Amino acid sequence: MRRRPMVWVGLLLGVGFVGWYFWPRSAPPPPVAEPPPSPSSPRILFAERSVPIPEDNPQTPAKVALGRKLFYDTRLSKDNTIACASCHRPEFAFSDGGKPVSTGIFGRKGSRNAPTLTNVGFRRHLFWEGRSPRLELQAVGPLTAHDEMGLEPEELAQRLQAIPEYVQAFQEVFGEPPSLRAVTYAIAAFERTLVSYNSPFDRYQAGDDQALSPAALRGMELFFSEKGDCFHCHVGPDFTDDEPRNTALYTVYKDIGLARATGKDEDVGKFKTPTLRNVALTAPYMHDGSIRTLREVVQHYNRGGEPNLNADALIRPLGLTDQEVDDLVAFLEALTDTSFTTNPALLPPGGQGGAP
Amino acid sequence: MRKSWLVFLLSISAYVLAAPVELKVNLRVGNQPLQWGQTYQTPQGQRYQIDLLKFYISEVALVRPDGREVRVDGLALAEFKRDGPTQGVSVMKLDVPAGQYRGLRFNVGVPRELNHLDAGTQQLPLGVNSGMYWAWNPGYIFYRLEGTAALPEGNQKWVIHMGTDAFRIPVRLHDLQTRRVQINIPPGGGGIALNLDVARAFEPGPGGVFVDWRKQSLRQLHGLSPETSLLMSVVYFNMQSAFSLAQ
Repeated sequence: MRRRPMVWVGLLLGVGFVGWYFWPRSAPPPPVAEPPPSPSSPRILFAERSVPIPEDNPQTPAKVALGRKLFYDTRLSKDNTIACASCHRPEFAFSDGGKPVSTGIFGRKGSRNAPTLTNVGFRRHLFWEGRSPRLELQAVGPLTAHDEMGLEPEELAQRLQAIPEYVQAFQEVFGEPPSLRAVTYAIAAFERTLVSYNSPFDRYQAGDDQALSPAALRGMELFFSEKGDCFHCHVGPDFTDDEPRNTALYTVYKDIGLARATGKDEDVGKFKTPTLRNVALTAPYMHDGSIRTLREVVQHYNRGGEPNLNADALIRPLGLTDQEVDDLVAFLEALTDTSFTTNPALLPPGGQGGAP
Repeated sequence: MRKSWLVFLLSISAYVLAAPVELKVNLRVGNQPLQWGQTYQTPQGQRYQIDLLKFYISEVALVRPDGREVRVDGLALAEFKRDGPTQGVSVMKLDVPAGQYRGLRFNVGVPRELNHLDAGTQQLPLGVNSGMYWAWNPGYIFYRLEGTAALPEGNQKWVIHMGTDAFRIPVRLHDLQTRRVQINIPPGGGGIALNLDVARAFEPGPGGVFVDWRKQSLRQLHGLSPETSLLMSVVYFNMQSAFSLAQ
């Protein structure tokens, strides 16, 4: 009993010591500033990335081959004129070269610019408002939309079931006859092979100091600087954060973007940040293809866009000179990967667009 | 103790005595049976034909005379296509205790808890093969009505695709004021017939707005599309009273 006060004193001293030891000091030493990146600093090889594969759609060579045939087959449309590749053309990095909006069946026009499929397997959200969570579901849209390919699931299945080569291929790959679901799974498997990391920018990253022109190098510095301020949204290996943003393209949006799905006022005019990989091949630009050239796009951001209550907080006049705008464009052009657009494994099977 | 046994036995007997009931739908234009290929007129004089109607029906319940509900699990996809039948079409099979009911309630649409699952992994009547999956928005088209309008420039296709959770259509076919019995289910089962007046979609709304197919942008009514959101609301409210119990 007599020793108990001593125990308490000991405990208090122990707790006090532990508290003193771990208590944060009032003035932690300032962090050592990171040295600015230089050409000799370690570089990132994006080419080593691997596309995430969903558990319910494992990637197999036979499935990819089937998806590739389907991707280029116009029989997947109501009037046999439109394939996926009609609006996602390899030579334009799987976008619809030069067209603000694409033409679907019976000459019907779409309402949005066909996006590039470059590295589409890495995207977390699909469609311009980002409301489709994965490729398997995204493909349902164009296949069934009445201004795109316009086939009912039943009609599509009947058509493919009348083509022996497809019946055999679907049986081998899925163990079932052709159906819209199986078609979308096969096309998604092919789309996950659309991988592009061999641009001058990637070669520069890999250590080739000559891969970028002086203008492109200056543009790269601007791109990743607070002045150019491109990198906050066009971030990561594919230069996109996959997030919906209002870029102050208009004061009043005819197409309300994300709000079409959410019904929220604050989502009006929000569209997903597009990848900039191969961007020089995918003109015209923005969700509606309303801007013709890369230079005009950069100038839009340089001006700070149009007045809009939903404009992203990062939108503001940038004060770039004409030379700086040109340099940024030079950098964007250095994201072009011609080995991607000419890769035989991604082009129509047999060199023909059509029959399997 | 004896009372609880009685309740248990009654419950068991009610389950055992559940009668098979077919929910049937007759398509109408006004008070006339819908006929494929027939040209009709909207109240504004626009001429049209109906080509397709598909809708989900879910959260069905029969209402007892005392107001309690007998809920029926499951969801069905009603499909009406050109050259198919339009009258007395069975759209859902119910198992309910025989007896007398004040009426029926159900929703046209997919319950929220099913509407946002991965459609790629769902089976019919859900799933992408249903023709009702709305790919740009993770969810289903609840009510899909399509047709052709006869316009001066020629025939033009029009569609009404109603979806998103906000547009699940509640249908209430029971008399809240009285205990009047409207549905009698005999022990051997039977059918409940509904009339659906598809033309109700074209009734004008507040301010006289109506589905005007002369405007190209109004030939595709899609969910919350900006130019059509008011009209979708009009169609939505009209559809709530488009169903009735067939006498």
